[in-house]
Amino acid sequence: MKGRHRITGILLFGVCLLVWLPLLLMTAAAWMPEDELYWRYLSPLGLGRDQVRAALIPSYPSLAAMKELLVCSPGFFIMFWNSCIQVIPMAAGQLLVGAPAAWAFARFRFSGRRQLFGLYVLLMVLPFQVTQVSNYLVLDRLRILDSHMGMILPGIWSTLPVFIMTRSFETIPTELVEAAYLDGAGQWYTFLHIGLPLGYPGIATALMLTFVDGWNALEQPLTYLKTKSLWPISLYLPDIAKDKAAVAFAAALITCLLPVLIYLNCQEELEQGAASSGLKQ
Amino acid sequence: MASSGRRVSASRLRRALTPWLFLAPSLGGVAVFMGFPFLDVLSRSFRDAMGTRLVGLDNYKAVLDNSAFRLAAGNTVRFLAVCIPLLLVLSLSLALLLTKRAEIYGKLPADSGDRGGCRLIRTTMVLPMAVPAASMVLIWKILLCPEGVLNQALTAATGEPWETDWAFSPWAFPVLVVTYLWKHTGYDMILWVAGLQGISGDLYEAARIDGAGAWQELRYITLPQLGGTFCLVGILSLVNSFRVYREAYLLAGSYPDSSIYLIPHLFAHWFLNLDVQKMTAAAVMMTGVFLAPALAGRIVQRKIGREKIGRKKVRGGERM
Amino acid sequence: MKIYSGRLKRHMATILAAALAAGLLGGCQKPSGSGAESVSRQEGNGREGGSGEDSGSGEASGSQNQGSGRQDAMGRYGETEVELPQEAESQSLIQFLKGEEGNLELYTAVRDSSGNVEEAFRYRHLEGSWQRDEGWPGSQVMGDRNLDLMGVYYGQDGNYYLGGTDDNYIYHLMKMDGDGGAQEILEEVFRPGDGMDYGLIPPKIEVLENGNIVVYDYWEVYLYTPSGERLFSMAKDFSGTTSDARGFCEGDEFVTVNQGSIVRYSLKDGRITDTVDLSAVDDGRESAMVFGDGAGGIYTVNEKGLSHINRGGTLWEVLIDGNLNHMGMRSIYMHGFVAGDQEDFYGAYVGGGGKGMYLFRYQYDPELAAVPPTGLTVYSLEDNSTVRQAVAQFQSDHPETRVEMRTAVDTGGTVTEEMIQGLNTELLSGKGADVLILDGLPVNAYIEKGVLVDLSDLVAELESSGDMLDNLLEGFREEDGAVYQVPAKVGFPLAEGRPEAVEAYSDFDSMVAYHGEKPLMSIDNYENMLRKISRLCYEELFGKEIKVRDRAVLIRYLEGVKALGEASGCQTVFTEAEMEEKNVTNFVIEDGLTRGVIEYDRGMCDSETEKMTGYSRLSFPAEIRKINPGSVMKPVGDIYLPSAMAGINRSTENEDMAKEFIRCLLSFEVQKEDLYDGFPVNKKALEFLTQSDSRDNYSESAGYRDGYHLSASWPTLEERQEVAAMLETLTVPAIVDETVMQMIAEGAGDYFDGKKTVEQAADDILRKMSIYLAE
Repeated sequence: MKGRHRITGILLFGVCLLVWLPLLLMTAAAWMPEDELYWRYLSPLGLGRDQVRAALIPSYPSLAAMKELLVCSPGFFIMFWNSCIQVIPMAAGQLLVGAPAAWAFARFRFSGRRQLFGLYVLLMVLPFQVTQVSNYLVLDRLRILDSHMGMILPGIWSTLPVFIMTRSFETIPTELVEAAYLDGAGQWYTFLHIGLPLGYPGIATALMLTFVDGWNALEQPLTYLKTKSLWPISLYLPDIAKDKAAVAFAAALITCLLPVLIYLNCQEELEQGAASSGLKQ
Repeated sequence: MASSGRRVSASRLRRALTPWLFLAPSLGGVAVFMGFPFLDVLSRSFRDAMGTRLVGLDNYKAVLDNSAFRLAAGNTVRFLAVCIPLLLVLSLSLALLLTKRAEIYGKLPADSGDRGGCRLIRTTMVLPMAVPAASMVLIWKILLCPEGVLNQALTAATGEPWETDWAFSPWAFPVLVVTYLWKHTGYDMILWVAGLQGISGDLYEAARIDGAGAWQELRYITLPQLGGTFCLVGILSLVNSFRVYREAYLLAGSYPDSSIYLIPHLFAHWFLNLDVQKMTAAAVMMTGVFLAPALAGRIVQRKIGREKIGRKKVRGGERM
Repeated sequence: MKIYSGRLKRHMATILAAALAAGLLGGCQKPSGSGAESVSRQEGNGREGGSGEDSGSGEASGSQNQGSGRQDAMGRYGETEVELPQEAESQSLIQFLKGEEGNLELYTAVRDSSGNVEEAFRYRHLEGSWQRDEGWPGSQVMGDRNLDLMGVYYGQDGNYYLGGTDDNYIYHLMKMDGDGGAQEILEEVFRPGDGMDYGLIPPKIEVLENGNIVVYDYWEVYLYTPSGERLFSMAKDFSGTTSDARGFCEGDEFVTVNQGSIVRYSLKDGRITDTVDLSAVDDGRESAMVFGDGAGGIYTVNEKGLSHINRGGTLWEVLIDGNLNHMGMRSIYMHGFVAGDQEDFYGAYVGGGGKGMYLFRYQYDPELAAVPPTGLTVYSLEDNSTVRQAVAQFQSDHPETRVEMRTAVDTGGTVTEEMIQGLNTELLSGKGADVLILDGLPVNAYIEKGVLVDLSDLVAELESSGDMLDNLLEGFREEDGAVYQVPAKVGFPLAEGRPEAVEAYSDFDSMVAYHGEKPLMSIDNYENMLRKISRLCYEELFGKEIKVRDRAVLIRYLEGVKALGEASGCQTVFTEAEMEEKNVTNFVIEDGLTRGVIEYDRGMCDSETEKMTGYSRLSFPAEIRKINPGSVMKPVGDIYLPSAMAGINRSTENEDMAKEFIRCLLSFEVQKEDLYDGFPVNKKALEFLTQSDSRDNYSESAGYRDGYHLSASWPTLEERQEVAAMLETLTVPAIVDETVMQMIAEGAGDYFDGKKTVEQAADDILRKMSIYLAE
C-alpha cells in the first residue's frame, strides 16, 4: 500500500515539475533587470541567435519591472479596475440569472426542457469569431458598444455556467428536496435554501471558471471596446513588446494574482461536495 | 363543479408556469445575446459576404470545395481526437488522485499530512489557466526555439547538437498538444472535482461493506456516476479547443506548419478577408457535426430509458 | 445553512481584502476617487459606430470648475488668430510668455544667414495690440557679451532671465536687474566638465520664489541654489526640442511628464508626490505640453487638444478638441501655451523648419455648437501625417462639420490582425468610418466584397482639372475601369551608381548576372534583400497576380536573391560583433529599402537605391553624383511606392462629404506641405515644392566610424526638376502582398543558411502559399 502510494507520489511530482518549469521561468523573468532578460533570452525575443541562458533565479534580482508597473504606470491600475468592473458584475449576474435557470433545468420536468437545454449547449459551442459580427449588431442596437455594459451583459447570459450549475443541481439527492416540499416549503424557498447551498460547489466552479475566462478575455474587449481607457487588464501588453519584456512578465504575474487568490479561497468549497457537506444531517 | 375544475386548472397552470418563471430571466437575455447572433449566423451562411443577397447553398458548396477548409478540418479532427481523450484521462486521473482521496476511499484520515501536498499540487495544476497567453508563449519559445532549453537538454543528453525549431517543424503538432494540455488540464480537473463531489459517500460505504477494492469502486461506482460530468467536460474541452488558436498563432504565426493549420486559423483568415459567409457556413456545418452524435445518442437513450424514466417518475414522484 | 452563510461571509471578506489590497496599490496612485470613477467616460454622444479612441473628446464628462454647463449642445472654445506685429513676419520666435503684471510678452529675433541672432525684440500685448518695447535691454545685454539668445524666462521671483550660448556653444544665464544691467549666474553649472567640449545647454530655465533655479536637461531636471549648488535632480521623459514646455513649477512643486505619466515632484526634496495617468489624452506619440492653472490643477495640450485635471482628480476634462483647430495640424508645431485671464488660452506655434510664427487665442464661445453636428470619420490603421494634415485642413474649411481621425495602432503597434478584425466587424455590420486609409488593410478583399465606392468619377474630375499627376492615380485603375483608392503621397526607389550597374536594374536576371568590380548592392540581412528585390522587380516577380506562386519563378527569385546576397555578404542574422564591424542590423523594414546610396559612395558596392520620399532624400544622391563623376541616377523601372491610399466606405451616409475630403487630401493646400512621407500627387504642389528655395541653408551630413564623412546641401533647382520629371514617368504601384512576403521570408531562411535546397525551401513556401491562396 505504502509503496504504491510512493509511486503515485513520484508520478505526481513529475507532472508538477512539468507544470512548474514554465511558471518558474516566468516568475524569474519578472524579477530580472531588462539587460539580464535580453542577455538570457535574445533568441526567443527575436533579436538574435544566441543560445538561451535560462534561469529559475535571476542573477541580479531587480524590482525595476515591478516598480515601473506598480509605481509608474497608473494605466495598469485603471486596466486592473476595468477588469474588476467588467468581471465581478458578470459573475454576480450569472449567479442571479443562471442559477435559477439551472435549477429549472435540473429539478423540473416540463415539455421542451431537453430541447431548450440542448439549445443552451449549442449556443455555447460556437467560437467567438463566428458570432463576432452578429454580437456587434446586438450591442450596437442596444447602444452598449464601447462601454463596460457591452462586456458585462453578454457575459451574464453566457450559457456555459448554466450548463455547469445544472449538472451540479442534478446531483442533489431527491430526498432532500422532497423533504423540503413536505415541510411546506415553496419552490423559491426550496431553491434558495436547499438548491443554492447544496449546489454550491457547482456554482462556485461555474463562477470561478467564468471569472477566469472573463479575466483573460482578449477578443471581446479588442473588438467591442474602442476607448482605450475602458480596456481590461488582459489587453495590457497583449503581445510581448520587445522593449518591455520585463514589464510584460511582471504584468502577467500580477494579472494572474487575483484569479489565483479567488481560487485559493474557493478551493475548500470546490473540494467539499454537496454529498459531504454538513447539510446532510 | 365548475369552480373546482377552474381551481384544478389554475394550480396546474401555476405548476406548469413555475419552471418558466425560473427560466425567464435567463431565457430573455440568452435570446438577445446568444440566440439572435446565432440566428444571424445561420442567415448569413445563406447570403453573400456583405449579407445583402441570398445565395442559397453556394457558401456551403464553396466551403466543402475549399482545399484549405478540408485541410483545416482534417487537422482539427486529428487535433481533437488526440487532445480530448488525453485531456480527459489526464485531468480525471489527477482529480481522482488528488481530490479528497481520503474522503472517497477512506484510506487516509481526513487531516493527514498528505492533504497539504495534494492541495499544493492541485493549486499548481490550476495556475496555468490564469496565465496570460502572450507571456506564456514567450516561455514556450524559451523552451522550444532552436537555441532553447529543450535542444540544450537533448544536446547534453545525446552528445549530438540539436537545433530543431520545434514550433515550426513537423513537431509543431505535439508541441501544440502539450501546450494545450498544460493550459487546460487544471480547468477540466476543477470540473471533475465538482462531479466527484456529486457522488454520495453512502455508495462507497455500501461498497466497502460489500468488500469492494479501490479498483472496483472506481469501475462500478465512480466512473458510472461521473457520466454526466463526462458529457460536461467533454463539451467544454471541445469549446476550449478553439482557444488554442491564440497560442498557436503567437507561437507559430498565422500560417504555421501545415500539421497545425486548424479551423480557427482558417476562420481568422476568412474574417480578415471579409469572407464571413464561408465562415458562418462552416460554423453551421460544424455545429451540425457536434449535434449529430448528441442527437443519435439521445434517440438511443430515449429508447432504452423510456421505461426506466417512467418507473422513476412513479417512484420518485417529482413534484411540479 | 448557518455553516454555509458563515463560510460565505468569510470568503467574501478575504476576497474583499484582496480587492482592497489591490485598491490600495491603485489608490496610492490617485489619492481621491476610485478607479471606477476615473474611467467612467461614456460614449453616447449619439455618433454612430462609437467614438474612436483618438477623439474621445467632445463630451466633457463630470465637468469641474471650468466646464459647468458645457455638456449642452451649445458652447465650446473657438479659435481666433491673434495678429502679430507686422515686422515679426521676417523674425523668428524666441519665447512666448506671461510676464510682469500678467502681460503677454513675445520675444522674437532677426537672424543672420547662418542662423545667429542679430537683434532681439520684446513685444507686449497692451490693450489689444502688440507694442514693441523699445527700452528692452535684452538684446543689448546679449549682444555685448556675444551671446546667441535662446530663451527668455520670467521667474517667480519677479526677475527676467536670459539664456544663450557663446561662440563655443557654452551656455550662459543672465539675470536682469531691472535697470538695464545684467549679471551672470550659475556660470560653473554650464561650463563643460573636464575633457568635455560641451556643457549643459538647458532647453528651459525656471526660477522659484526663493531664487532657486530649476534647470532642464533632456532626461532630467536639476534644482540649483543661486550660488550654483545642485540640490537634487528629477527624472523626466526625453524631449529633444529646444523650446521645452514639458514641465512647469508652481509653488513648491515641479510637474512634468515621466514614463508617459504626469508626475508631481516636491521641490523640497525632489520626491514624487503624485502620478497622474496621461494615457486618456496622450498615447505617447504627441508629447503633450503641460502648464498649471494656478490652483494646483494641470493643463495638458497636444495635437488632440487641451485638457484639464484638478489636483487629486482622476478625470481629464477635454476643454478644447484639437481636431477642430490648428492644434491637430502637422505642418505647424506648438511652441508655448499660456492660460489667459478671461478663461481663455493663447497658443504660440512655429512653422516647419522654425520659419513663421502664429499665435491663436482660444476663447469660450457659448454661441458655437459644442460638437459640430454632422460628422465625417477617417480611419487609418496607423498614424499618417498627410492624412492628419488633411483632417485639420478639412476641419478649418468646414467648421460646421466634425471630422474625426481614428487610428487603430499606436506607435510601435501590435495586434494589427485584431485591429483589422475589429474594423471588419464594423464594415460587415454596415458601419465603419466614412473614409478608409487603406495602407496595410486587405484592400483586395474590400474591393472584391464591394466595401469600397468606385471613385472613377472623382478621379476623372481630378484628372480633368489638370492638377494631378495622372500617371500616379491611373496605377490604381482596375481592369473594369473602376478606381477604388487614390494615393495621397508617393515615394519611389532611385537607383544610383556606375552606369553599367544602374543599367542592370532593368530586369531581375541582369541584376543577378551583374559582375562588376564590386557587388551590385550593399550588404544587408537576407530578409531586407528579399523585400527590396520584391519591390525593385515587382512586375517580374509579383504583380497583381503574385507571379511567385509559380514554382519556377519562386526558385528563380530565391536563387537570384541568394546570388546577390552572396556577392554582397548578406546573412540571415548578424551577431552583435558583425553588426558593429559591418555596419548592418537585423532590423527588417517592410519594403527592405534600408541602405541608401551612401553605401555606394563609401565604396561598398557599385550601386544602391535610395527611397525617395521628398526632396530632403535627394541631397545625398545629388551630392554623390557630383563627387563621383560618371555616376548615374535613375528610377527603377516604372515602380512607385504609394502611401496614404484613401477609399470610401460604401455604407457611408456622407459620400459627398467623403469625396470632398479626398479632394482636400489631394488639394494644393495639403499636398504642398513636405511632411517627409512622400512626394505629392498634386502637380501644382509638386511644382511648388520643386520651385521653393526656402531650404537654401539646409545641410545634411553623415559620418561613419571608419572616418568616412559626407555632407550635402539642399538639392539644386535642376536636380529637383530632374526628380519631378521622373515622377511623371512612374506607372506601377508596387504593393506586395505582405502575407506572401512573410511566408517567403520565413521559408527562405533555411535555404540562405544552407540548411535546405532551393527546391525544398520553395516547396515549403508553396505549400503554405497554396493554403493561403485557396482560402
